[in-house]
Amino acid sequence: MPERLEVLLLDDEPIVGKRLKPALAKIGCDVEVFENPREALKRIEEKNFDVVVTDIRMDEVDGIQVLEYVRKKSPRTKVILITGYAMMALARKAMEKGAFDFIAKPFQPDDLRKVIAKAAHALGSPLNFEAVEINDE
Amino acid sequence: MSCVYSERRSKRHQQVVILQRGKAMSIVLISSDSYEEGSEIAGKTAEALGYAYLGREILNMVATRYDIPQDKLLKALDESPSIFGMPAKIRHRYLAYIEEAVLARLLEDNVVCYGLAAHLYVLGVSHVLKVGLISAREERIKRISSRAGISEAKAGKLISREEKRQRQRSLEAFRIDGTDPSFYDMIIRLSNIDPDDLVKTITEIVGYRKFKPMTYSIKCLTDRELAARVRAVLLAGFPDVRVQANGGMVVVETTAIKREEAKRVAAIKKLADGISGVSRVEVHVINDIFRQAAESFR
Repeated sequence: MPERLEVLLLDDEPIVGKRLKPALAKIGCDVEVFENPREALKRIEEKNFDVVVTDIRMDEVDGIQVLEYVRKKSPRTKVILITGYAMMALARKAMEKGAFDFIAKPFQPDDLRKVIAKAAHALGSPLNFEAVEINDE
Repeated sequence: MSCVYSERRSKRHQQVVILQRGKAMSIVLISSDSYEEGSEIAGKTAEALGYAYLGREILNMVATRYDIPQDKLLKALDESPSIFGMPAKIRHRYLAYIEEAVLARLLEDNVVCYGLAAHLYVLGVSHVLKVGLISAREERIKRISSRAGISEAKAGKLISREEKRQRQRSLEAFRIDGTDPSFYDMIIRLSNIDPDDLVKTITEIVGYRKFKPMTYSIKCLTDRELAARVRAVLLAGFPDVRVQANGGMVVVETTAIKREEAKRVAAIKKLADGISGVSRVEVHVINDIFRQAAESFR
């Protein structure tokens, strides 16, 4: 039985966490959802997550800042950025700063699951990805 | 039962593809105002990176697939629009066939592409490093002057005319000015750097994290490839179509007069629906006011 993957999900739109948490739980992720970036950063300070999924455009603290913070605090953690304002320059900036992946919104929960599975593989703790029905949302 | 098995197999295949995607590499696009020098640099870069080289040899495949003489495809790429030249509709169609083939190859990654105007149709794809190579004007003048046996003044005029044509070509075919330096990630003056150092520079830069493929950039390229494939199918019957893809959703824009609208939409949907990768087709019809006006005077 593969280990559970510790995931922090940060998006200021409540619907995102509500929709993605159960979708990620199905592939073996324990997900903590945050809508407030400051609270998320506080939690990241307390705990090393395997994966952090964060929106980019948020008030007060943006996703790039979260990425920088996570990279500094826990280089092993894979950071996945999601945004509704995807552009080439932003995507390149995110990758340059060490993002594991960059996804444009809107996306299907399955798209994120695939990326999480890739991150788990890179961390050396592959998920039981076959356990879920692909496109079951 | 067999259906369930094949579904499982396809899921397993999908997972393998996903994990392999993690190993996907960047793409290098090179353009040059000196075909031979650019080709040499592109070839050496491909060799240094261990990537495939994608050049004008692909035109042979396009020519065979669409039964078009290869020299006509070359003309479509190099010739400027003129009233005595290749009709615009045909030129657009040939360029669309080339674009479709090039994008399909670029999707496979690990490729150095040269001389196919690809930088004009991969705009916004972040894992493509776009390199423009330019030679010093004086050197180009000297080269053309000695090769064609003409005076340097005449060679200078030829170059200016060619630059103007190049701009016209990209504006007419892609609605963008292909000579605009902002379309490139780097522009290098060939006379300023030794070819081997240039290859070393390109191979080093393409290794930067910012040029790494990611879900977003792969999707951008996949969408462009699908749109190009759909457009290539539709162009024969509907020369004015513009196509965009997002996921499997395809949006086709076309013009028609009112009474032909429904027929045109149905025909486009029928053609596009059968293309692999297309999950939904939306057709937006813009009223062809000129034809509509002409018809109303009949």
